[in-house]
Amino acid sequence: MEIGEEFGPWLARQLKLAGKTQAELAEELGLTRAAVSAWITGRSTPRPTVMADIATALGTDLGTVHTRTTDTQAGLPVTWYHRPGYPDGGRELGNAAAFAFDADVQVLARETCQNSLDERLTENGRPVRVRYTLHELTGEHLDAFRDAILWNDLFPHYSAVSELAGNQKVGRVVDAGVRDMYEKGRLVLLRVDDYNASGLTGDDYADGKFAAVVRRQLESLKSGRSAGGSYGLGKATLWATSALGLVLINSTLSVPHEGRTERRMIGRLELPWREVDGRPYAGPAWFGRPDPDSPGAEVARSWWADEETVARLHLSRDSDEPGTSFLIVGAHDVASLEASGSDLDDDIVEEEGDEDTRDIRRMHKRLVQALGRDFWAAMTGGGGRLPLLEVSVRALRNDGEVVVEETKVDPSVEQPSRTRALRAYYDGTTVDRLTEAGHVAARNVPLKLPLSGGVVGGTLGIHQAVLLVTEAAGDNDRPINQVHSLRGNRMTVKKATVPRLPIGTNPFQAVLLVGEAAGEAAPFAKEAEEFLRAAEPPEHDRWGQTEELTLRWSPSAYRRIEGLTKEVNNAVRELVARPRRSSREGGEALRKALTVKKRPKAKVPTGPVIPVLNGLDATIGEAGEWRITAEVSIPRGDEIVPMAPVALLDVRSGGRPKLDWAELEAVEGCEVEDGTLRFPPGVRRATFRGATDVTSHPVRTALTRLVLELRAGKGE
Amino acid sequence: MKIYPYKRLNRPITLRVTSVSLKLADGTRDQLDTSAYSTQQQVVALGVAGHEDWVSATIGLSATLPPGADVPDAAWSDVRVVAVLTDGETNVRTATHLTRDAEDSRDWSGSLEVLRDDHLGRASLAVDAVGTVDGVAGRSIAETDRSWTVDTVSDEPVGGLQLEVRKASFTRSSREWLRAYADAPWIVDTSARVPTVFVNTDVEGIVGLLNSSGSGVESKVRDLLVAQMATDVWTAVFHGAMGDLEVEPGGSPVFPTDWQGEVLREMLPDVVPGVHVEEALRQVHRRRTGDAGWAELQTRIHYAAIRRAEASRALGYAIRSLEQANRESEK
Repeated sequence: MEIGEEFGPWLARQLKLAGKTQAELAEELGLTRAAVSAWITGRSTPRPTVMADIATALGTDLGTVHTRTTDTQAGLPVTWYHRPGYPDGGRELGNAAAFAFDADVQVLARETCQNSLDERLTENGRPVRVRYTLHELTGEHLDAFRDAILWNDLFPHYSAVSELAGNQKVGRVVDAGVRDMYEKGRLVLLRVDDYNASGLTGDDYADGKFAAVVRRQLESLKSGRSAGGSYGLGKATLWATSALGLVLINSTLSVPHEGRTERRMIGRLELPWREVDGRPYAGPAWFGRPDPDSPGAEVARSWWADEETVARLHLSRDSDEPGTSFLIVGAHDVASLEASGSDLDDDIVEEEGDEDTRDIRRMHKRLVQALGRDFWAAMTGGGGRLPLLEVSVRALRNDGEVVVEETKVDPSVEQPSRTRALRAYYDGTTVDRLTEAGHVAARNVPLKLPLSGGVVGGTLGIHQAVLLVTEAAGDNDRPINQVHSLRGNRMTVKKATVPRLPIGTNPFQAVLLVGEAAGEAAPFAKEAEEFLRAAEPPEHDRWGQTEELTLRWSPSAYRRIEGLTKEVNNAVRELVARPRRSSREGGEALRKALTVKKRPKAKVPTGPVIPVLNGLDATIGEAGEWRITAEVSIPRGDEIVPMAPVALLDVRSGGRPKLDWAELEAVEGCEVEDGTLRFPPGVRRATFRGATDVTSHPVRTALTRLVLELRAGKGE
Repeated sequence: MKIYPYKRLNRPITLRVTSVSLKLADGTRDQLDTSAYSTQQQVVALGVAGHEDWVSATIGLSATLPPGADVPDAAWSDVRVVAVLTDGETNVRTATHLTRDAEDSRDWSGSLEVLRDDHLGRASLAVDAVGTVDGVAGRSIAETDRSWTVDTVSDEPVGGLQLEVRKASFTRSSREWLRAYADAPWIVDTSARVPTVFVNTDVEGIVGLLNSSGSGVESKVRDLLVAQMATDVWTAVFHGAMGDLEVEPGGSPVFPTDWQGEVLREMLPDVVPGVHVEEALRQVHRRRTGDAGWAELQTRIHYAAIRRAEASRALGYAIRSLEQANRESEK
């Protein structure tokens, strides 16, 4: 059994954590204070029977006392620690990293999902599973949650920030967040869980993943070369998405810390500088257990929570699989306002005029959309390899009431054609030339890698990227004719439409796999990966000129990427379009002028308006005649042209036999006069009824198709 | 408005072309790239590969019936799906049965054999679903709403009909009839399969001007010339199309199905604005064959032709470029 620290110091710290004196412990154990003192100074150790009593007194189990690899659960109560104001009087009115992002769940999805991908445990070959949960709390559930996060302790800080609200952005956001909670009596939690990921490992303060996320700004500890992020900005989206600037974290570690792995808890609050009860506070605050080793035992550190506490904070995890759960308190989605109407369907019932940034159904939809768009490739497997990522999104209300069923983001639904293309590539079923709908054409495209270290013009080697092109899947597969570019982490980085395609080109979708995405065997895959990672800005939405590229390669290195883009566009055009034929008789300009094509129609002149047939109901009468009831709509106009209804029988070619009317009568809005409909001025809608004359039918009525037309004038 | 004496599906069938291959005279096959057809324009261009000697083409098809086609209590039974290729010029109609992809699928697929000798140019391809309704077999229950065009000549899958342009020396051409027009720079022949513009190469520089691709005054003059020619052509083809109409027993004209139909469908809305093309056709036909109104209509026909030729734009550019040239010479 692993033995932790010496008994004496350990016991001393546990007493301090629990706020007990040596005398109090001695009294509980029925021993003298001197005996306890002797243990602490290391002059003696307690007998095994006493060990059990000590465990009881400290509120822990015998094993913990014996191994001493961790602290007991007893201790100072979990509380908020607000970083005091700087002694130099400096004020920070917000976190610059969080300023870089607007509250946008789609950006959050991209950043968090990318982090989870980067932290995937690779040894077992399984995908990292990420789940987004939108959870709306109201009524007693909201109250219970507020108690759990010690809302009453926080409230003075929020009030102080609200007073500053007029002056700066973070204050206004927080003020609106608090007001929304009180006015509408609800709070939206957005939880991001990942499983089969490394979790927040490492010490509370020293270098490690925990400190990188919880304690530090702009630090990224991504180790893998193909990692997506490298700026450490991504985590700021968590706080940017919270209108209250509050995120709680529960992590299950892949590597034990303090002898434990499960339920490592911490909360972090991002507020601007404020003054509460005459004391200035710098900004951030942490929710945790006061660290007895810190000055005044005030600094809050992570604690190992019990299951009940975790449940109260809505942070229970499904299993003991490593990974992290982030709970964004007061999630809102400002970007959805802009997007609404354009890319959302009508099935979201919207209250009139109520532009709600906290609609969990809409957020659900936007999350699924963004995840499908950016991570379809990571979610795609094939050819015996598992996908890297599985993602699902769900929406709940209060105590497990399901608003939107857990939806697994399916790449073949979100990106049908590209997923098909990538699968075909993994399965090895691609072709060289597109000759059949549904085929996937693959082609190598060169990326000339520059020499690093400021050498201008030199080429290290040529990396062969893989371009996949396939037909777009139906009308919903939009936008069409785009290339999605991705590297090792399989996140879509660049989405670009291929320019200069001839008219009538069949809609297609393309994928460009560069760097390690092109396969381990591709030449210079590692170098290309590194190069492109350096060329990727924090938004992860393109490759181009960046400072890092200039520093590590040369100021002109980005031209290599332009070269790649050009090669890609040419290759795509070669695959989907025919080369233009030149030198045709008569010249291109004349050819173009002599093509019959749709032009905008001429302006309709003012004058008498012409009624049009708007609806038709027809049945076959007992004698075999067609009986019709027709509706006519009339454009606005002073004078209405009289129209003659004409019944014809449809034929495949040639003239259509005309039927005579046996009856023709007006129902509404018109008069029949000598086989012609006359409309009184101002009428916009009319109905008439008629029956054909059977003797004029050339064939049995049941075998005919009737065509009814309105003709101006006499209808000859 | 059309109505059937039995129940059918309201929504149309969607038709896709999935592959095209040509059978050559020597018995070999050439599988064409998917760029031989355009799903947006709904055109198959069999001339793309540049083969002079192809015998037949095989077009792979896939059709999806609208929802409701396969409900158990449907009014129809024995549903079959046929692809029909209709050529309005040669009056050839070819039908092929499609087969259902799977037992409970609404997708049907098959392939259509197009014999080159059966067609002159553009044929239209539609799909019908037929079944037995009320005891009558072979009734159409749904069809495609927009036909595909199979063009056996064109080398570009674009929807619009392109009129022919040919160069010829009017004095020395083997087409002897051109000699009568030796002093005309161009002439339009609407009696050909597709209306053809003959450009007289005896007029020195005309071909060079038409082929020029430069910018500056030269291109503006070229555009002006093209606009002038196009106005002539459109006027001529409109008259050609109007003069060759088939007439129904009642005296109403029948809308033509070949290039004439395409030309009329495009130009009639400018000639008789504000009415359906069928009605417009009747009105124009009445005026042409009736006692009065034909002369008055010429202005509208001319207007429609000018619009199609984009004459005002070409003229505007030419004038602006001239003004610019004048300003530069003053400096």
